[in-house]
Amino acid sequence: MSFLHFFEWLQNTGWASALRESSLVFPIVEGIHLLALSASVGAIAICDLRLLGVLMKREPVSTLMKHVWPWSLAGYAVMFASGSLLFASEAVKCYGNGWFRLKVFLLLLAGVNAAIFHLTVYKSVAGWDVSATPPFRARLAGGFSLFIWALVIAAGRTTAYNL
Amino acid sequence: MSLAPLLPFVEWCQNTWVGGIIRGSTWLFPAIETVHLFGLTLLLGTTFIVDLRLFGLVMPRQRASLIAGDLAPWTWAGLIVSVLTGVLLFLTEAMKCFQNDAFRAKMVLLVLAMVFQVTVFRKVIAEDARVGSIWGKLTGLLSLLLWFGVGAAGRVIGFL
Repeated sequence: MSFLHFFEWLQNTGWASALRESSLVFPIVEGIHLLALSASVGAIAICDLRLLGVLMKREPVSTLMKHVWPWSLAGYAVMFASGSLLFASEAVKCYGNGWFRLKVFLLLLAGVNAAIFHLTVYKSVAGWDVSATPPFRARLAGGFSLFIWALVIAAGRTTAYNL
Repeated sequence: MSLAPLLPFVEWCQNTWVGGIIRGSTWLFPAIETVHLFGLTLLLGTTFIVDLRLFGLVMPRQRASLIAGDLAPWTWAGLIVSVLTGVLLFLTEAMKCFQNDAFRAKMVLLVLAMVFQVTVFRKVIAEDARVGSIWGKLTGLLSLLLWFGVGAAGRVIGFL
């Protein structure tokens, strides 16, 4: 079975069709997706800006990673769940949309960036936790994350326009 | 309350050359909307974290006034970007917005949220002793509801 066949099947399931055709539930899921996005990406941006050394410089980096980062993950979970529902309801349209494909690729890239950061430079955080300006590789990870998430938002917004 | 006296002004907005240029372009409207979302993300994301601090859920050992003070410039920057791009979007479809109940609700919520922010919210944050109390938590909850309400109403505009 090809991807396309699978997505056709997916969007024709009873619940996906019901979601697509609902003039109440679809906007609600869209609204949840948007609010979760702003909470999650906003929280990520705070961590990224701390890594770049431009915000909350008096807080140790590990304090933000321990307290703010989990909330961005929680927001991410809500964003991912609501996004999956929206995708299922319009799977074929999304699959054929270049902006949507770009967005999925960028999300993977954001995940790889976060994983590399946590598995490499963040391991040695004890050595630079309280410095106002973290080491270059930490700043790079923060800057790259900000850039990627801005592109995710742009690609997501443009998906709806079929440009 | 009838908003009819505003109609000539809304028509004037709709007919400005700025609105015309954006309407005539395929790319400008989505591009401005994207920047509007950047502003909203900064505004709501930083508000979200400060409100969570009022609930005692984020950095409970750090004073709320310090956290709020560090994030406030980013919250205001997000608001300014959102409002400026919002004005451009409004000029593009002023008549549609004017007749849209979600848009009207959004404007009311926006004014309430801003007034709340510079009065009650600011006062509670300034006195760290109040933050842990039930009033501190209630302030966080109201702030969260008002600002996220603005975002939710904004999303609904496109569906009406």
